[in-house]
Amino acid sequence: MAQRAVWLISHEPGTPLCGTVRFSRRYPTVEKRARVFNGESYVPVPEDGPLLKALLFELRLLDDDKDFAESRDSCSHINKTSIYGLLVGGKELWPVVAFLKNGMIYACVPLVEQTLSPRPPLISISGISQGFELLFGIQDFLYLGQKNDTELYTKLSQLPDLLLQACPFGTLLDANLQNSLDSNNFASVTHPQKQPAWKAGIYKGKPQVSISITEKVKSMQYGKQDVADTWQVVGAVTCKCDLEGSMPNVTISLSLPTNGSPLQDILVHPCVTSLDSAILTSSSIDAMDDSAFSGPYKFPLTPPLESFNLCYYTSQVPVPPILGFYQVKEEEIQLKITVNLKLHESVKNSFEFCEAHIPFYNRGPITHVEYKVSFGQLEVFREKSLLIWIIGQKFPKSMEISLSGTVTFGAKSHEKQPFDQICIGGTAYLKLHFRILDYTLTGCYADQHSVQVFASGKPKISTYRKLISSDYYIWNSKAPAPVTYGSLVL
Amino acid sequence: MGPLSRENWAQRVATFRASPSAFMVGPEGEDLGRDLLSDLRSEKQSEQTKVSLLSLSLEYPAQLWPDAPAAEAAATSLLDTLVLLPPRPSALRRPLLLAATTALAAGGALGPTSGASRRLLPLLLGLAAGRDLGRGFGPASEQRPLQATACECLRELESCKPGLLGGCLGLLRGLMGQEGPIQPLSLLLSLALRNTLVIKAKARAGLQGLLVAGNSPTEGSPWNWTLAEEGDAHLQPQAPSWSAAEEGECGLAVLEPSPEEARELRAAVAQLLDTSYLLTPAAQAQLLWLLGWAVRGLRGQPPVLFKPQLVRLLGTAQLTLLHAVLALKAAFGEALFTAQDEALLLRRLTLAAQHPALPLPAHLFYLHCLLSFPENWPLGPTGEEAVPLLLGSQLCRGLLPSLLHDPMALLARLHLLCLLCVEDEEKEEKGQDQSLRCYLEELLAGLRQRAALNGGPRALAILCFQASYLVVRCLAGQPMVLTPLTHGLAQLYRAQPALAPHFVDLLDRVGPELGEPLRVALRQEVVSRPGKDEALRWHLQMLAKVANEDAQSATLSFLQAAAAHCLDWGLQQALLQVCRALLRAGVGGGLADLLQVLARQLEDPDGRDHARLYYILLAHLSGPKLGMALGPSLAAPALASSLVAENQGFAAALMVQEAPAPIRLSIGPRRAEGPVPVLQLQVEVLEPVYSLELRFHVERQLYAPVGAVHVPCLCPGRPTSPLLLPLQPRRPAPARLDVRALYTTPTGLTCHAHLPPLPVNFADLFLPFPQPPEGAKVGFFEELWDSCLPEGTESQLWCPLGPHRLEALVSCHLEPFVVVAQAPTSYCIAIRLPPDSRLLLRLEAAHADGVPVALRTDDWAVLPLVGAYLRGLSAAV
Repeated sequence: MAQRAVWLISHEPGTPLCGTVRFSRRYPTVEKRARVFNGESYVPVPEDGPLLKALLFELRLLDDDKDFAESRDSCSHINKTSIYGLLVGGKELWPVVAFLKNGMIYACVPLVEQTLSPRPPLISISGISQGFELLFGIQDFLYLGQKNDTELYTKLSQLPDLLLQACPFGTLLDANLQNSLDSNNFASVTHPQKQPAWKAGIYKGKPQVSISITEKVKSMQYGKQDVADTWQVVGAVTCKCDLEGSMPNVTISLSLPTNGSPLQDILVHPCVTSLDSAILTSSSIDAMDDSAFSGPYKFPLTPPLESFNLCYYTSQVPVPPILGFYQVKEEEIQLKITVNLKLHESVKNSFEFCEAHIPFYNRGPITHVEYKVSFGQLEVFREKSLLIWIIGQKFPKSMEISLSGTVTFGAKSHEKQPFDQICIGGTAYLKLHFRILDYTLTGCYADQHSVQVFASGKPKISTYRKLISSDYYIWNSKAPAPVTYGSLVL
Repeated sequence: MGPLSRENWAQRVATFRASPSAFMVGPEGEDLGRDLLSDLRSEKQSEQTKVSLLSLSLEYPAQLWPDAPAAEAAATSLLDTLVLLPPRPSALRRPLLLAATTALAAGGALGPTSGASRRLLPLLLGLAAGRDLGRGFGPASEQRPLQATACECLRELESCKPGLLGGCLGLLRGLMGQEGPIQPLSLLLSLALRNTLVIKAKARAGLQGLLVAGNSPTEGSPWNWTLAEEGDAHLQPQAPSWSAAEEGECGLAVLEPSPEEARELRAAVAQLLDTSYLLTPAAQAQLLWLLGWAVRGLRGQPPVLFKPQLVRLLGTAQLTLLHAVLALKAAFGEALFTAQDEALLLRRLTLAAQHPALPLPAHLFYLHCLLSFPENWPLGPTGEEAVPLLLGSQLCRGLLPSLLHDPMALLARLHLLCLLCVEDEEKEEKGQDQSLRCYLEELLAGLRQRAALNGGPRALAILCFQASYLVVRCLAGQPMVLTPLTHGLAQLYRAQPALAPHFVDLLDRVGPELGEPLRVALRQEVVSRPGKDEALRWHLQMLAKVANEDAQSATLSFLQAAAAHCLDWGLQQALLQVCRALLRAGVGGGLADLLQVLARQLEDPDGRDHARLYYILLAHLSGPKLGMALGPSLAAPALASSLVAENQGFAAALMVQEAPAPIRLSIGPRRAEGPVPVLQLQVEVLEPVYSLELRFHVERQLYAPVGAVHVPCLCPGRPTSPLLLPLQPRRPAPARLDVRALYTTPTGLTCHAHLPPLPVNFADLFLPFPQPPEGAKVGFFEELWDSCLPEGTESQLWCPLGPHRLEALVSCHLEPFVVVAQAPTSYCIAIRLPPDSRLLLRLEAAHADGVPVALRTDDWAVLPLVGAYLRGLSAAV
C-alpha cells in the first residue's frame, strides 16, 4: 500500500537533459520493507539523476528518438497502462507509476509486498491505485485554480511540508493536499470524535450552498450514409456547502423536466453516504429503453469544507444541439469548402459565444480566400492556416447558416504550419466552440427546493447552469474520417 | 565544525540531494550525520533550517547513519532534542517523532535491547492514547496533531515489525470509542489486528483475550515483544498477492477462535467498518484491504460485514476505492458477490474505464482490471488477460479503439478488441465476428497510413508495429486477419523503406503464422524495386533478413544490380550481409558468380576479401556445414561434427565488427622540414591492438589522397614512436582528416571504428625556405619580398605585442622560418606554403605597445588565413 519514492519532473524538451527533477521524496522505511519482500528480485530506488534519464527514455521524452532503439521501440515492448519498468544500472525497476500532464511528469514507485519474479498481476498490488491517487492529488493541488508559473513554484515549494502531513511514511493518508494545507489553519480548533478525516475543520459564518451544473457536449458528425453521427453530454455538478456543525447532513437532488434526457454513468463524490440503486445501475453501456430512470436523482451527503465535484454523469440527448455539414473539394491548387450549420429548435438560442474553427493541416499558409457567409463574419489566420467563423450570440430566425468559399495555399514550410497525423489527404474537420449560460442540454437542474439541509439556520441556496462544447467535430463528408466502432452502422 | 549558516546548510543539503552517493564519498560526507544532529539542538539555527534538516533525515537515514549502532545513537539524540524543546508551540515535534521512528525502523535498530526503542514506544503509545505526558510535552494546541502523528509512527513500526502492537489491541480498541482522531486510530488498529491474527494463526495459538480492553500494557511496565519476535520470521504483506492467498498461504483457517473471541473480533471489524466513511478515500481503501485479508478464511467471520459498504463504494469514481472493492471480490468471491453483484461491478468498471470525467491513467488501469477481473467462475487459465464471461461484446462497444485515441489507450483497447475477436471466432457468431474483424482491419490500415507519412514522428511507426504485433499474438490462428495484415505491411514497406528496422524487429518477434508470408511479401517488394541511395541501404538490410532459397534468381539479379551502387563501405557490408544470408540458406550456383564478381569489383579491399572468402566457403563446404559455419550462434548442438566445433567463432572472425575505438589519435609537435608538410601522429591505445590500419580521408579533397598507415602491434602503456603522415596540399588551406581504423583485437576479431576527425591547422603546412649562406640573407629575403608583386598581394597588420612578448612569440612559433633577425624588435620571416605559395612577414620597429606587421604573399587566397593565424598567435602569447 505504501510508496517507496515520489517524483515530480518538469519535461523540458530541447535542454541537454530534457527535464529537471522539481520534487522528490524517498521513504526509507518502505524501501527497507521492499528489500525484504522482493528478496532476490529487489532493485533499489535510484538517485534522481539516473531516474530522470531512465524515465524520460522509457516515456520517449528524450530528443534522441530519431533512430530505432530496440529496448524502447521494439514492437513487443507494449505498455497498456501508465505503469513502467525502468532500466537502471542494468536492472529493471518495476512497477513505476508515471504519467505526463501539462509538461510535468508525475511518478512514484509502489511497494510490492512479494517477490517480483514472476511479476505479480498489477491488479493485485494495492500500492498501484494508492500511487495513482497520490499523483492525481498532487496534480490537482498544483493545477486547480493555478494561474501562472509563480503560483506553480509557490505550490511546489509547499509540497515537502504537505507530504509530511498527507503521506509521512509513504502510506497515503489523504490525497486531497488542499485539505492538509487547511488543517494547519484549523489546528487549534477542538475536534469532536466524529470529525471526518477529510474535513479539516468546522465552518463558521453565514450558511450557504451553491450548486453549479456544467454540461459539455461532444460530437462527431460525418455527413455520410454508412457512418452514424455520435454525440454525448458529460455533466459535472460542483458544490460548495458552507454550513455550521461538524457533520451537517445535506440532500441535493437533480431533476429533469418531463422531456429531459435521463442521466447515466453517474459517478459520485465519496462524501455521498448512500446511493439509490437506480442511480447506480443507469448506464450508457446498456441498450436504452423507455423505462430508464429519469430522477429525481437524490444525493444524501456530508459535505467537505472545500468546493467538491458532487457527481459526474453522461447523457444521450435525442439530437445534437447543432447539426453540421462540411465538405471540402480539392480543385487543383485550391480547396473549395462548404459549411452548413443548423441549430436545433429545442436549444436555447442565446450564446455567450459561438465559433467554428476550420483548420487546414499539413498544407502551406493560406494565400488567398474568397468566401460568402450567410451570417456572422470570417477571420483568416494565414500563417496558422486557420479560418474562424464567428457566429456570435444568436442564430438567425431560420436557425440555418452557411459558409462557402475557396482557399488557396502557399508552399509548405514545416516549421510554421501545423502537422496533424489524422488529417491526411482529404481528411479534414471543423470544430465548433460555443457556450450557453443558464442552460443544460439534458434539462437537468437543481433548484432551491431540491436542497434539504439538516443543520442550524436556513442557508442561502444559489444554483448555476451552463452548456459548453468540447470536441465538437464536423468532418469533411467527402473523405475518410476516423470513426469509432459505435458509429459504424451495422 | 561550528554551526553552519542557513545558506551553508541550504547549499550543503542541495548538493547532497543532487547525488547522495557522490556527496558521501566526498570530504564532507562523513560529518554530515553528526553535524545534522548537533545543529538540530543549536540555538543559532532557525526552526525552518531545522525542519529542512529533519526532512533530510527522513529521506536518507541509511546514508547519514549507515549501521544499527549509528541509527540507535541518532534516534537517541533525536529523542533528547525532542524532550529538551521548550513547552511553547513548535514545528519540530512532529518531524522529530517521524525522524526518530524512521531512524530506528530504517536503521534496523528497533528491538527489545535498543534503549531508544524502549524510550520511543511508550512515548508514542502515550501520545496516541491522548495521555498527559507531563513535563509540558507540547502545548494543548499540538496535542491532536501529535496524537495522529504518534499513531502513524506506531503504524510504521508495526509494518516493519509485525506483532509489535499485538499486546495493545485492547487499548487501541478502547481508544476508538473515545475522543480521538478517527483515521489514524482506525488504520493502526486494523493493521495491528491483522498482523496479530496472522502471527497467531502461524503459531496455532488463540487470541488469548488480546482484543479485550484493559489487557494492555500499563504505564511504566516493560514493552511486550513476544508477538513481534514470533512475527519476526518474516515480514507480513499487508495485502498479500491474490494468487498466493488462493493457495491458502494466508493460513488463517487454522485459527479457531472461541465463540467469545469470534464475537469480539466481529465487533471490532464491524466497528471499524461502520466508521470507515469518516476516513479519506485512500485510508478507507487501506482499511478494506487490511480487513478483507484479516477476515478471509477466518471461521465464524462472514464477509457480509462488508456488504453495507459496497453500494456506497461502487458509486464513486475513486481509483483506490474501486480497487479495494476488487480486492474484496478476489478475497471472498461468491461469498460476498452474487452473480448479479458481479455483473454490476463489471458494469461499473466498464463505465469507469471510459468515463469522460476520469483521466487517461485511470481509464487504462480500469481496463487492466477488467481484463484481469477476479471472476467467481473463471473459465480460462488464471494469470492470463481475458474478457470476463459476463461482459459480452455488446457491453464493450464503447471500449473499442479508434485512431483518435492516445497510443497507450489504443493498444489497451486493441487488445480487448482482439480478445473479443477470438471469442467470437470460438462462438462462431458470424455476423458479429465480421463486423469486429472488419473494424480491426480498418483500424490497422489507418495506423499504417499514419506510419507511412513522410516526416511523421517515429512514435506513429512504433504504434503501428506494436498494434500489428499485438494482433498477431492474439489472432495467430486466424488467416482472415493475417492475410490483409501481411499485404498491408508489405505496402507500408513500399511506401516507407526507412521503416526496415521495425520490420526486422517484427519478424524477429512474431511466429511463422505471420513471419513466413510476410517474409515472402517483403522479399518481393524489395527485389522488384531496385533502388539507389538511401532506399538501397534499407532494402539490403531488409533482404538480409528475408532472403532465402526461394526466388533466387530475382534476389541475385537484384544484388547484381545493387552492387554497382554500393560505393561506400557500409553499403558493401550490407550487400555482403545479404550474400551471407543466402549462403546460410544454401543458395548455390548464381551466388558463386555474384561473389566472384564482387571479389573483383568492390572498391574496398575488406569487401573484396569477404566476397572471396564467402566464395571459397561456398565452393568448399557442403550446405549444412556452411550453415553452421556462418550461423549466428553455435550454442545449440545441431550437427555433432568436429568441424562445427572447430568453427566456433569462425563466423564472428569472418565479419568485421563495428566497435567504439580503443584508440586515441592526437597531433604531436610540428616538424617544419623536408619537401612536404608531415604530421606527427601520437597513438594511444586502451587495449592491445594488432594489424592496425589507419585510413584517412581528406575532406573537400584539399590535399592529395593520404595513404593508409599500418602498425603491426600497439599495447597500452608501451611508448610508441610517432607515426609520420606526409600531406600533399592541393591548396594551402587547413582541412579535416576523417579517420577510420581497422584492427584486430586480442580475441581475433576484426573491428572497424570511426575515430574523431583530425584537424590540420594552417600552421601545420608551413615549411622553411632553404637557408641562404650567411651574409646573403638580407638580399635573399628582399628578393623574395619583391617577387611577390605584382601578382600577389600585400597587407599591413598591427600586432599588439611589446618587444619581449614578440621575441617569445617568434621563438616559439616562427623560429624555423626566420631569415633575418634583430632580436627583440625586428624579424624577416619567409614561409613556404605547399604546393607553391609563399608568405613573407616583416616585423620591424616594435614599439612598447605593439609591432606593425607587413606581409606579402603571392597567393591572395591565404590572406584571411594569415590574418586569423596572427591574431590567434598574439592572443595566445
